[in-house]
Amino acid sequence: MKSRPNWPAGLFALLWLVIVVGPLYYVVTASLRTRQDYLGSHPLEFPASPTLGNYVTVVEGGFGQYLVNNIIVTVATVAIVLLVGVPCAYAVVRGTGRFVQRGFTLLLMGLAIPAQATIIPVYLLITRMHLYDSLTAIILPTAAFALPVATLVLTNSLRDVPAELYEAQAIDGAGPFRVLVSLVLPLAKPAIMTVVVYTALNAWNGFLFPLVLTQSESSRVLTLGLWNFQGQFGTNVPALMAAVLLSVLPIFAVYLFARRFLLSGLTAGFGK
Amino acid sequence: MRPLIAMGLVAMAAVVSACGTAGPAEPGAGGVKVWALQDPVLNPIEQKSIDFFKSGGGNASLETFGNDPYKQKLRVAIGSPNAPDVFFNWGGGNLKEYVDAGKIADLTPVLDQNSALKNAFLPSVLDGAKIDGKYYGIPMRGMQPVLLFFNKEVFAAAGAQPPKTWDDLLALVDTFKAKGVQPIALAGSQAWTELMWIEYILDRIGGPEVFRNIRDGKGQGWKDPAVLESLNKLKELIDRGGFGTNFASVGYDVGGASTILAQGKAAMHLMGSWEYVNQLGQSPDFVKKGSLGWVAFPSIPGGKGDPGNVVGNASNYYSVTSGSSQVEAAKKFVSTALHEDSYVQALIDAGDVPAVVGVEEKLAKAANSEYTTWIYGQVKGAKSFQLSWDQDLPAEKATAMLTQLQEFFLGKVSPQQFVDAVAAR
Amino acid sequence: MRTQRPSGWYAVPAYGFFALFAVLPMVLVVYLSFTSWQGLGTPVPNGTANWSRLIADGEAHAAVGRTVLLMVVSWLFQTPIALLIGVWAAGPQRSRAVLSSIFFLPLLLSTAAIALLWQALLDPNFGIAAGGTQFLGDPDIAIYTVVFVISWQYIPFHTLMYQGAARAIPASLYEAATIDGASRLGKFLHITLPQLRYTLVTSSVLMLVGSLTTFDTVLILTGGGPGTATRILPLHMYITGFSGFEMGYASTIAVVLVVLGTALSVAVMRWSGFRAMSSQQEGS
Repeated sequence: MKSRPNWPAGLFALLWLVIVVGPLYYVVTASLRTRQDYLGSHPLEFPASPTLGNYVTVVEGGFGQYLVNNIIVTVATVAIVLLVGVPCAYAVVRGTGRFVQRGFTLLLMGLAIPAQATIIPVYLLITRMHLYDSLTAIILPTAAFALPVATLVLTNSLRDVPAELYEAQAIDGAGPFRVLVSLVLPLAKPAIMTVVVYTALNAWNGFLFPLVLTQSESSRVLTLGLWNFQGQFGTNVPALMAAVLLSVLPIFAVYLFARRFLLSGLTAGFGK
Repeated sequence: MRPLIAMGLVAMAAVVSACGTAGPAEPGAGGVKVWALQDPVLNPIEQKSIDFFKSGGGNASLETFGNDPYKQKLRVAIGSPNAPDVFFNWGGGNLKEYVDAGKIADLTPVLDQNSALKNAFLPSVLDGAKIDGKYYGIPMRGMQPVLLFFNKEVFAAAGAQPPKTWDDLLALVDTFKAKGVQPIALAGSQAWTELMWIEYILDRIGGPEVFRNIRDGKGQGWKDPAVLESLNKLKELIDRGGFGTNFASVGYDVGGASTILAQGKAAMHLMGSWEYVNQLGQSPDFVKKGSLGWVAFPSIPGGKGDPGNVVGNASNYYSVTSGSSQVEAAKKFVSTALHEDSYVQALIDAGDVPAVVGVEEKLAKAANSEYTTWIYGQVKGAKSFQLSWDQDLPAEKATAMLTQLQEFFLGKVSPQQFVDAVAAR
Repeated sequence: MRTQRPSGWYAVPAYGFFALFAVLPMVLVVYLSFTSWQGLGTPVPNGTANWSRLIADGEAHAAVGRTVLLMVVSWLFQTPIALLIGVWAAGPQRSRAVLSSIFFLPLLLSTAAIALLWQALLDPNFGIAAGGTQFLGDPDIAIYTVVFVISWQYIPFHTLMYQGAARAIPASLYEAATIDGASRLGKFLHITLPQLRYTLVTSSVLMLVGSLTTFDTVLILTGGGPGTATRILPLHMYITGFSGFEMGYASTIAVVLVVLGTALSVAVMRWSGFRAMSSQQEGS
């Protein structure tokens, strides 16, 4: 459909572009200045003599450790969610019995629970289980709160699989486990990718669970690390901005190379 | 509903079994367990004291935690099988909560038997961990009184002298405002920086007894007229523009207030003694060229409080948990390792001002001696060293008070409303 | 022939896990709301003391008020922008595709990163508005600044939803309207908006629930300040529980949060049932 250009909308989009890009420009340029330069000039000025020194400061400040922790938390959370979520979705779609279906209803009610509201009992549980201040303490509740959406996405996708396919497998004498491996897993691949991205993003950006359930530097994840850098660097805003920028890079790489998966994971369960 | 109940039971069982398996460790396995705050400077020194203890035949180990989490972790751990044997604390009301719960060993007998130990520390500092007449902690690090820092260049440019009295301070506010300089830097997004002002003003006007009554729930508490008078004084300073207009979103941790003092955008800054080390790290040139000045908080003529009194953090303390299987070893640790020469010297070398008697000579030989000697003299001469109120009150009261104080600085709450609100808690 | 079905055991790990870290905490939080627990030792039941305190607690009421304000203003600000940009970005032009890929960039930043970025940018001494408007320091402005920062973060997400939905609108509808001589505005009002109404509802509910549980942004950006100007309900709970160590009372506030969240989510379920029904009708 051809039409004349939509000037008002275009102008508005341009204005929004400035609002979006302005702060991003600020992060990049600020991260390239020295502290003295930053404190002495306008924040939006282009740095007189750009330097990468701030990135060195950040890396020496423990960024690597936080990054590794973040990766561990993210990978473990995704692994747990898939490991328990896929069989669960399979049981919900193909299983019989009221236990499974009622449990699923309960799980869906979990969509409504704000994680913030449970933080005190979760804190109590984690300390009583002697997991406080470990990466496990972050992983377990993060995975639990990712389960409702993950299971929902997986069951929706498995429901689209024709019953004949399951029956054909059964005729071949395949047990439920073989069906899970040879039929469910391949067919649910797109849904699994969505779940991976959704869960990974949640774990990667998580803040409240790490904030309350960990404390030492050795179990600090990126989000908390950034916040901690703020106190550590003081008015060395350029170093803080360098840390912010570094923390974005991994996700940015995913955005560049697998944009479709990233966007589908972001809107998991809602984007349809 | 049945699946729900079943699930609940499974979950409960899991929790219970987890608790069971992680019970108390073998008593005495790692020796005396010492918990302290994470601090890159202090931790190696603490480790030294443990090594010293070990060299004397004892056994101990150090575990460290970050600031806010430390307080949380400690609360949960004390009284559980995972409690430390010795732990770092701030003395005062925070410690009192544990004492009241019967979790802390009384160290008075230890101090009474060992007068050399008792006399080794400055009395006003030792009193910081004195609760209901008994000692529950031994000072283990430097003293951190609050003092008034100023930028000498800014003062010179205005031809001004640092304030000696409250009226001087008010006059300086006008002087600097006329020069376009913010008179006093304040990191108002963090309420404890505002707290320092009212702590000092109340001490100067009503004497240290007023707050002690508040803390102990005696007398008129917050309703003491001195509190209202102090708040009115402070309000005068705020309304006069003493703190400028943008303090509410300035943070101390992010260096906002310290930086504007160093840059000469502000003339004065009331802060704990750690500010010196902080400035040295963030703006080394400013300190090295001698532009950072400091004085005691101004006196308030007609007030009951001695102008020599100080507020702040007297020190940090090591306390011994009473339920510990290692009480005796723990007591031995705190009574031998904390005033011993190499430990004290290590603190001084790190820029701390230990609360130990007779260290003038050592201070004079170390770096930044002009500053550290001044601090030492200030505390030694003080009749009272009031612990920061937020440490001296139980946590929930402190939190409520800090909230009201921020509202007060913003002008949202009047002096009378402040008094009514905190008295009601 | 008997089909081999997976047994209930396949679901047990997921359910058990969820029960332990989500259902049990829900039960516990209700229990704790009837206890006094200072974080020391074990919780002691204290009847309805926390609840009567909540009824009289002006600070908590104010926090609820701020939360509602935050929800409403966020919705009013985000919805029109996300809707317009989403519809605009759905157009087939290449320039729009390029621009919209830039629009999505804030999605890549974590909440912590975004809050730190804006805090630095709005610093009262060294930021872009130094010496001017106190975006974070003025109690009357700070909450709107929070709304703006939240919107900056989440508008791309909602734009994405609207873009997807707008692309699904059949072109034939527009062609017919063009033949009838409809104006651009007319087409937007009479075709685009009605076609997007379900997306509008989903997006709105997500915005509202999201604003209700906003936490990280406010904690980092303002810490609830200046004073208590941005102390919304989740933050009030956090401060009560983890600064004041009144874990019992904080649990009471948490229960309120759950009730509000559930009420909103029931709205979601009602609506999604409604959608399933009506889309069947449409599909005919």
